[in-house]
Amino acid sequence: MYTQTQWGEEGGPGPKPAAEPGGDDSHRQECGDPAGLDACVKCGICTAHCPVARAYAPFPGPKNLGPDAERLRLEGVALDPGCLAYCTNCKTCEVVCPSGVRITDMILRARRQQGSAQAESAKSRLRIRDHVLGRAEYLGRLGTVWPEFTNTVLATKLTRRLLQKALGISAEAPLPKYKKRFRLEKGSAAELTSESGQNGGKSVEGTGSSSMGRGAAGDPSAGNGSASKQVVYFPGCFVNYNDEATGLAVIRVLEHNGFEVIVPGFHCCGVPLTANGRFREAEGNARRNLALMEPYLERGIPIITSCTSCGLALKEDYPRIRVPAAKRIGAQTYDLFEFLWLLHERGELKEDFLEVRVPLAYHAPCHLKAQGIGTPSLRILRLIPGVKAEELDAGCCGLSGSFGFKAEKYELSLQIGHALFQRVRQGMREGKFKAVITECGGCQVQIAQGSGARSLHPVWILAQAYGLGGGT
Amino acid sequence: MWDGLVIGGGLAGLIAGIRALERGKKILIVSEGVGSLAFAGGVLDFGRVRELRRLEKHPYAYVGEMAERAFSYFLQLNPAYTGTWGRRGSVLTPLGTLRETELLPRRLDASPLFKANKIVVAVPGGLKDFFPEIVKANLQKEFPSGNVRLKKLSVEEFADWRAAGKSIPGTVYAEFWGTERGNTALKRHICEIAGEADSEAIVFPGLPAIGCPEVDEVLAGISLPVVGMTSFPPSAIGLALYESLTRRVKALGGELLIGVGVERVEVESARARRAIVRSKGKETALTAETFVLATGGFLGRGLVATPDDVRETVFGLPLHVPPLRGGKDFLGEQPYARAGIEVDRHLRPCDPATGEVLLENVFAAGRILAHWDPWLEHCGGGVSLSSGLLAGELL
Repeated sequence: MYTQTQWGEEGGPGPKPAAEPGGDDSHRQECGDPAGLDACVKCGICTAHCPVARAYAPFPGPKNLGPDAERLRLEGVALDPGCLAYCTNCKTCEVVCPSGVRITDMILRARRQQGSAQAESAKSRLRIRDHVLGRAEYLGRLGTVWPEFTNTVLATKLTRRLLQKALGISAEAPLPKYKKRFRLEKGSAAELTSESGQNGGKSVEGTGSSSMGRGAAGDPSAGNGSASKQVVYFPGCFVNYNDEATGLAVIRVLEHNGFEVIVPGFHCCGVPLTANGRFREAEGNARRNLALMEPYLERGIPIITSCTSCGLALKEDYPRIRVPAAKRIGAQTYDLFEFLWLLHERGELKEDFLEVRVPLAYHAPCHLKAQGIGTPSLRILRLIPGVKAEELDAGCCGLSGSFGFKAEKYELSLQIGHALFQRVRQGMREGKFKAVITECGGCQVQIAQGSGARSLHPVWILAQAYGLGGGT
Repeated sequence: MWDGLVIGGGLAGLIAGIRALERGKKILIVSEGVGSLAFAGGVLDFGRVRELRRLEKHPYAYVGEMAERAFSYFLQLNPAYTGTWGRRGSVLTPLGTLRETELLPRRLDASPLFKANKIVVAVPGGLKDFFPEIVKANLQKEFPSGNVRLKKLSVEEFADWRAAGKSIPGTVYAEFWGTERGNTALKRHICEIAGEADSEAIVFPGLPAIGCPEVDEVLAGISLPVVGMTSFPPSAIGLALYESLTRRVKALGGELLIGVGVERVEVESARARRAIVRSKGKETALTAETFVLATGGFLGRGLVATPDDVRETVFGLPLHVPPLRGGKDFLGEQPYARAGIEVDRHLRPCDPATGEVLLENVFAAGRILAHWDPWLEHCGGGVSLSSGLLAGELL
């Protein structure tokens, strides 16, 4: 296909050499057509679909900020850097583009080139905010030391007003509550510690491993010719610090299917850092995580994610890092339901489902759509007797990680999600569905904020069907 | 394992998918982007079907009575549309000239203008790609006995767009009219025009035409006819048509995989087995019993022209390729338009040289078919709908 010529370098198991942090000319030199500039036919479909451009007049939209401005940037002309910070990195533009142009990539590259953290948030308090919001992991570690205390403090109006005044973090924004830190259940071989692998070493100390599936180890039929039925689980910050229970549900479902689940002490995937202009640190996290993954990747063990943004980072960003493990990470990373669907297709998924009689509405997160795997969770849930699931199909929720937490963007983020909230409220009122399911923790938080409806990860429905404890 | 894998998410692919889903098949539609429907204004041309049917190898020749079936099938699928088989209606182009077509959103039906002596053109403030003076002049030419005047509408909700120095895209305006505030504003503006003495019909650009009951309700309460307009791409009405079709796919339990192109399809003994799509990080293999190839023409990039040749991008099928250059009259016949895949009566790709069927379980539909010219024959919607529907029956 025509797009092959632009996509050849990227995606896929063979990673393209990564750009150097800070300055990035390597990519441009590699391709005859810099990132598909000529492929863009200026149809404007991306801007018509962009959740931000539709709602926010001053935002020039992906066509202007991406391929149009790229031509100027190639001539050394930079646009107002503040504009770039309004791109939420949702990747809708890339999904809808009929010509395969990597629009978000161009925008992110421009942000990186401008040393964007300084440029985008000119005021120092906002620089501090970017610093804080980019670090979901450190906040999480702090927050989970004594979650009840943290939540109480964060819930007070005074704290929130101070946060807004001092840091520009919206006093209204739905900061997720901290929960007990995610750890494997009793009987796990080791406790999780996040300190391992800090130096980029190959240490897998501090790795947790589930015990239940251990008996099944050594089944040669499982994935990629690996010698055992083992998977590595990448829980992500939301499970680690805000939603321990979902992480445990993922593990129970995988164990029910005979897998031993290994959970090394991973770091934040880096998406929040990228979104806040901290590209160098994001790459540092990727390198540390890849070092932790390397021994498993070499043995052909799949990496499973239940967070769609972590999954996208592992599949799209990590292969660009210049370390050997990066060659394998893209091909060996699976969204949980993508993995389960492969098992189903091979006849290896346990389908001893109990009936689950609950009408559901499904919201597909932007970063799931961007993975190009369709909606495997809907496919799996529809195998369960009794499940009726309709797709909401109402666009982006608007939160985009920490975007909607920012004081100047909070209202906009609710406006972006307006159609979705309306659909949820209407459906609940009319009794068309009883619960909303979506993989993304950020979407869950935002849907609750915008519509009042509780939403949960689809793994809960599967767990219920397996008789492993329900979610609705 | 899917019953049918549809490659291409434009009009032909979506109709094929919807029909097959109605027949109880498990269907996945894979598409590089959101298809080309937003490039068109949402009206569907059928052209002179009976004449075109007599042309050897024209798609209408082998889809047979499927053309008429597709016409009524689409009307039943999308109640926002109107049309009568064998008759033509009129819509306004973005510049205010009249254009004939067969299937059109009711909102765009320009026939009331033929009876009106006093036409008012609403000019929503700052609407992008709308040129009121040109529209007025063209309308005056089309209806020389009538009087055409412009009526500016200031919409305060878009103050921040004006402050940013930007015109407002038709898609944004269309969405706005459907909101509560937009609805109130629309009612106020239209009632004001209707109350003026020299108004017999209103031409209103940028109105939503498909799937917007809120606007339909406002306009139903107005005594004057309100005629919408087609627009330049990206067209809000084309987008709304796309969304109504993809919603239908999902409501029938079908799945769409958008944003990935099909890299290649594995073929064994003249049967397609697995399509390989380039998901992020790795390739995903999609196994299916049957396939629809509806990747479009040069615009949809089912076909790609290089300085040396023309290629079909998924299977690398041999093509009918007329001499590509030659059309001297810019708006006249351009031979490239008839390039594409030759098929048998069951839409299966054939070798143009020998007529031999090349793939037993692949059905080609839409713009990728050879031997027709949508620009000259005005049959783009009709060929896509009828070949898509036939593919949906065959899947």
